Amino acid sequence: MILINNKTKYDVIVIGAGPSGVSSAINCAKRGLKVLIVDSNHEAGGQIYRAPPKTYKSIPKNKLEENEIQKKMSIELKNYQIETAYNHTVWQVSPGFKVNAFNDFSTIQWETKSLIIATGTYEKIIPFEGWTIPGVIGLAACTVMLKSHHFIPSKKIILAGNGPLLILVAYYISKFGGKVDAIVDTCSKLDWIRSTLSLITNQKNFNDGIKWIFKIFLNRIPVHSNCKIEKAVEVDGGIKVKILNLKTGEYKNIFSETIAIGHGLTPSTDITRLLRAEHIYDEHKGGWIAKVDRFLRSSVNGVYLAGDGAGISGALAASDKGLLASTALLYDKKIISKKEFDTNTRKIKKKLDKYEVFAKAISKLNSIPKKLIENIHEDTIICRCEDITKKEILSAVDQGAKDINQIKSWTRLGMGPCQGRTCQYTASKIIAEYLNCEIENLGYLTGRSPIRPVPIDRVLGDFDYEKITKVEAAPL
Amino acid sequence: MTQTDIAIIGGGVNGSSTGLELAKNGLNVTIIDKNFICRGASGVNAGTLTMHMTRAQLIPYAKKGWELWMNTSEWLSKEIEVEKKNGLCLAFTEDEEKLLIERSKVRKKYGADIKVISRKEAQRVDSNINPNIRCAAFCEMDGYVSANQTGYAYSKALKENKVNILENYSVSEIEYNNNNKYVIVFENGEKLIASNLILATGVNLGKTLKFLQIDINIKCLPQQLIVSERMPKIMDTVITVANGKLSLKQFNNGTVLIGGGWPGIGNIEDNYTETKPENLIGNMMLACHAIPKLKNSRVARVWLGLEAETDDAMPIIGEIPNFKNAYVIGSIHSGYTSGPYMGKLLAEKILGKDVDLSLFDIKRFL
Repeated sequence: MILINNKTKYDVIVIGAGPSGVSSAINCAKRGLKVLIVDSNHEAGGQIYRAPPKTYKSIPKNKLEENEIQKKMSIELKNYQIETAYNHTVWQVSPGFKVNAFNDFSTIQWETKSLIIATGTYEKIIPFEGWTIPGVIGLAACTVMLKSHHFIPSKKIILAGNGPLLILVAYYISKFGGKVDAIVDTCSKLDWIRSTLSLITNQKNFNDGIKWIFKIFLNRIPVHSNCKIEKAVEVDGGIKVKILNLKTGEYKNIFSETIAIGHGLTPSTDITRLLRAEHIYDEHKGGWIAKVDRFLRSSVNGVYLAGDGAGISGALAASDKGLLASTALLYDKKIISKKEFDTNTRKIKKKLDKYEVFAKAISKLNSIPKKLIENIHEDTIICRCEDITKKEILSAVDQGAKDINQIKSWTRLGMGPCQGRTCQYTASKIIAEYLNCEIENLGYLTGRSPIRPVPIDRVLGDFDYEKITKVEAAPL
Repeated sequence: MTQTDIAIIGGGVNGSSTGLELAKNGLNVTIIDKNFICRGASGVNAGTLTMHMTRAQLIPYAKKGWELWMNTSEWLSKEIEVEKKNGLCLAFTEDEEKLLIERSKVRKKYGADIKVISRKEAQRVDSNINPNIRCAAFCEMDGYVSANQTGYAYSKALKENKVNILENYSVSEIEYNNNNKYVIVFENGEKLIASNLILATGVNLGKTLKFLQIDINIKCLPQQLIVSERMPKIMDTVITVANGKLSLKQFNNGTVLIGGGWPGIGNIEDNYTETKPENLIGNMMLACHAIPKLKNSRVARVWLGLEAETDDAMPIIGEIPNFKNAYVIGSIHSGYTSGPYMGKLLAEKILGKDVDLSLFDIKRFL
C-alpha cells in the first residue's frame, strides 16, 4: 500500500499555484510560517500563466509574455524556500485539515492548521445539439493549447460563446497561423461598446483587447453577433455548424474543423463543498460560490479563498486577492497586529476595487441570455458523463424532485467523473426556468470525494493479499 | 389540524413499504420525512441483494424480500434498475475456505440455496474473478438494485396509491392523548393527529423512540461506498468474500460499485459524514484482488450512508409496548434486501393478520 502519511505538520497549505496561490504562499512564508503549495501541474503558473509541457525541450519561437511571468513565479517560490508539491492532484480535503493528493506513483496525506484555497475557475459551456462530438472543445481549453502548448487545435476553427476569450483566442489563432472561420457571439456589438468605459479602467487588459480586435478586423474574421450554435454534425473533413440568430430567428450554416466554445467561467467550489462551507449563488460572480467575508475568510474557521474561488475578478486581481486572504490569515494567527492588518488590507482593497469595475463589465459580456437556455432541445445531453438529457431532468422534476441533489439521485446527473462541474450550472438554469423559481432554492450538489477521479492502480500499487488491513466481517 | 389513520415517521424503504401496503388495503396513510422519500440509507446503500452477507436467522426474510425486488413492476414501479445475478463468495486462503464452508452450511440450514464450488466451476460462472481462489460459495439468488432510484420509484408508487407525503417535515414532539391518538408536532408548528403511529426513522430510531420515553441504543454505522467511472464489462456476478467486507458488482451503465461496509466517519447529530482514505484503500484492494481488471479503473465518487444497528444486530419490528396502535420497524441487517417484505409483514400485522414477529420484539431491550 502506498498511502504515505507525511509527518510534517504545516501552518498553511495553499492549494493551487496560480498567481493568487503563489502570492499568498509568499506572504505567509515571509512571516515565518511553514507553507506547502500544491498543484497538479508540473510548475507554478495556474491557468493563465501555465507552464509549457515538461516534454518541451525549448520554448517555441513565439515566446509569450505569459511564459516569462510563469518562470518568475516558480523562481520566487524557490527563493522563499516554500515547499512545493507539483504534479499532485488533490482528491480529498477533510476538516482538521487533512489534504490527500495523488501523483504518478502514490497518494499522500498532509496535515495543516490553515488552508488557502486558490483553485481558480473552470469554464461554463451551455450545451447544444452535438456539443459532445469530437472536435468541440472549450474556449478556455483552447487558450491553454495556444498559450502554454503553442499549438492550434486545427487549421480552421469556429469560436463561439461569449466574453473576451473570443477575441483573445481569435488573436492567438491568427498569430499562430490558423484561420478563424467565424466568431459566434451571443452578445451584440452594442454590448461590447457599452462595456468599453468600464473595461478601460484596466489599462493593460484594455490595450490587449484593442490589439486583439484590431487583428480580427485585419484578418476579416466574420463576427456573428446575437448568435448561438444550434447544432453541430460531423461530416467528411470537418463539422457542419448551424447557427441561430437569437434576435431575427434566422439560421445559417458554416463549415469548419473545430469549434471552441465557452460562456465564461465559474469558480471551483469542490473543496469548500467537501468541507461543508456555506455557499451563496451569485450569477455575476460565476454561479455558486463559497461565502466569504470582506477579507476572503470562508465560513469554516481556518479556510481562506484566494483568487477567483469566491467570485471572478480576473488574473490581474488574483495576486492581490491572494495577499488579502493571506493577510487575514496572518492576523487571525496573531502574527501581524491589528494596525498592520488594517493598513495592509486598506491598501489591497483600494487596488482591488479598481479591478471590480473591470470584472463586472466582463461578467456582463459573459452573461447567459435566457434564450440560450430556453433553446436547448429536449434531447440534448446536459450531463455528458452519464448521458442525461434535458428531457430526463424535466421528467424527474415532473415526478416531484425538488432539489438538485434529488435530481442527481433520480437521474444520475452529476454522478460521473466530473461530479457535475460541467452540468450543474445548465441543469440548475433549466430547472429554475421550468419551475419558475430561483436557483438558490434548488441548492447545489453535495461535495463528494474524490474531487478528481483517482486512478485505482496508482493509489494501490502492488500489494499482497495477506497485508490488506481488513475490517471484521459482519456477524453470522 | 389534519388527521390521518396511519402516520409513518421516516420515509425510507421500511416506512414506505409499510405505508404502501397499508394504503393498498384502503387505509389513509401519511408518510413524514425530515428530508425526502428514501434519501437516507435507502437511497445511498450499495443495493446488493445477496444471501452471502445476510445474517443466517434473517435468510427466510431476505429471500422473500429478494423475490419482491425481482418483481418491482408488480407492486412498486417499472422504473427502477433491478438485475438478477449469480452471487459468488470467494475464499483465497485455507482459513477462509474453512470459514466459507462452515458459514455456507449455516446459511443453507436457514434456507439459502448456497453451494460451495471449486475454482474451475467458479471461473465458469464468472471468468473475470481472480484465478487464485481456493473455492467459492455459489448462490443463484443474488443481484442488485440501483439504490439511487429508490426514491423515484417509491415516490411514484406512494402517490399513485394516494399516500399523503410530507417531505422536509421534522418532528419536534409526539403527544399521546386521552383518546389514544397521537398528536405529532412539527418543527414548523404544524400538527397531525393519527390513530396509528409507525416509527421507521432508520439510524434516528433511538432519537425518535425517545419521544415516547423509550430508551434503546441504536448504533450508527457510517459506511463508505466507492463507485468507479463507467467501464467496459469487467464482471458478471455479485462478488462477496469469505472473510472481511466486500460487495462488488457492475451496473448496466458500466460503473462498478465497491461496498461491503467499510467504516468512514459520521454521526446523526448534524448528519455529517467524512471518508477515511485508509479504509477506501483497504476496500479497493479487496475489490481489485477479487476482480483484477478493476485496477484499470478510476474512482469517480465516494459517499457514505448511515446504517442502524441494535445491540444484538437483529431488527426491531412490531408493537411498541404500553402504547396503543404504535409500531416500530428498523435496524434490519441487510435491511435494503428484506425491507419491502418486512414492511409488508408489519402492515399485515396492523391489518389484523396473524403474523409472527416475536423474533424482532422490541421488549428484549426494555
